[in-house]
Amino acid sequence: MQDAGIWIQQAEPQPTYAVLIDEQHLVSKLYNMVNVPTGVWIDEQGRIVRPNEAAYVDNRYTHIHRLEAAPYLAALRDWVEKGDRSSYVFSEERTRKTMAMPNPDWALAAAEFGLAEHLHKAGYLAESIAHFKEAQRLNPESWNYKRQAYLLSDAKRDYGTSFGKEVAKLAGKPYYAPRDLPGEAFTGD
Amino acid sequence: MQGQPIRATVIYDDVATEVSSITDNGSLWMTTSDLARTTRFELKANGVCRDSLCFPLPGTSSDEFVRTFEDATWFNLIAFAQHLSQPVAFEPLRATWCFGQRSDEREQIASLEAPDFTLPDATGVQRSLSDFRGKKVLLVTWASW
Repeated sequence: MQDAGIWIQQAEPQPTYAVLIDEQHLVSKLYNMVNVPTGVWIDEQGRIVRPNEAAYVDNRYTHIHRLEAAPYLAALRDWVEKGDRSSYVFSEERTRKTMAMPNPDWALAAAEFGLAEHLHKAGYLAESIAHFKEAQRLNPESWNYKRQAYLLSDAKRDYGTSFGKEVAKLAGKPYYAPRDLPGEAFTGD
Repeated sequence: MQGQPIRATVIYDDVATEVSSITDNGSLWMTTSDLARTTRFELKANGVCRDSLCFPLPGTSSDEFVRTFEDATWFNLIAFAQHLSQPVAFEPLRATWCFGQRSDEREQIASLEAPDFTLPDATGVQRSLSDFRGKKVLLVTWASW
């Protein structure tokens, strides 16, 4: 709340939707998310109808990740209007095929990350770093683990790297998994 | 019961609890009253249960899970985690264990039912995903880093 609160309280216009504080990365754990912003579409019955994907709603970082907001917003509006008849809603089979599914390494990574966060909060920085590193090793796809750990420490001193250096290592590979939207390359189906 | 008595920190369902324990050879024993306080699981005749959820214990190796010591019943939470394919992270210098998602929790998302959660808003009011049942929900995560 100390870090995120200002973004909520000073937003103009004020949000008309619920904005929740997730100090322990609970939603990322439950939905196997690896980056922000990540969006999931959930229908009126509480069913996932479009799984994890990059959910930018403006173009302020398009020069970095090359994702335009317009196709995502158009898809979202189409779903709101047409519901299950929207062509952007995935079938159950396609959702299962596309979404991040349970994985024992990722589950252990989440436990290591939870332990690291607890140790850091308790003031045990040195002990926390080993477990942040283990979480990153077990789930190397998680930018959330990297970025949170770097923020809570001196990344260069404790991890020998930085967010920028890690992004540079991608060497042209996309920072986000490609979205499945018209006109965009998609390799997951 | 053999082992070293310690003051342990157990993180279960993201909640940290201090508990008097006995540890030996990768085990973590606590009294059944501490088990309930730490995990909300209770030892019952049909297994280890919480609300409508019950996990039977293998009868052939019950000594691995439950022992009687100094007029109290003790439960080995590490053996239970292994039984449920639940990952455990451990920091020996701080006697802290963090229990992750059990396999039944991990596999829930394969049903495509959106996992429910409850979190506070900026004013401290607790809100649940299930509060929005009957409406479409766009769930978006972001961070201030």
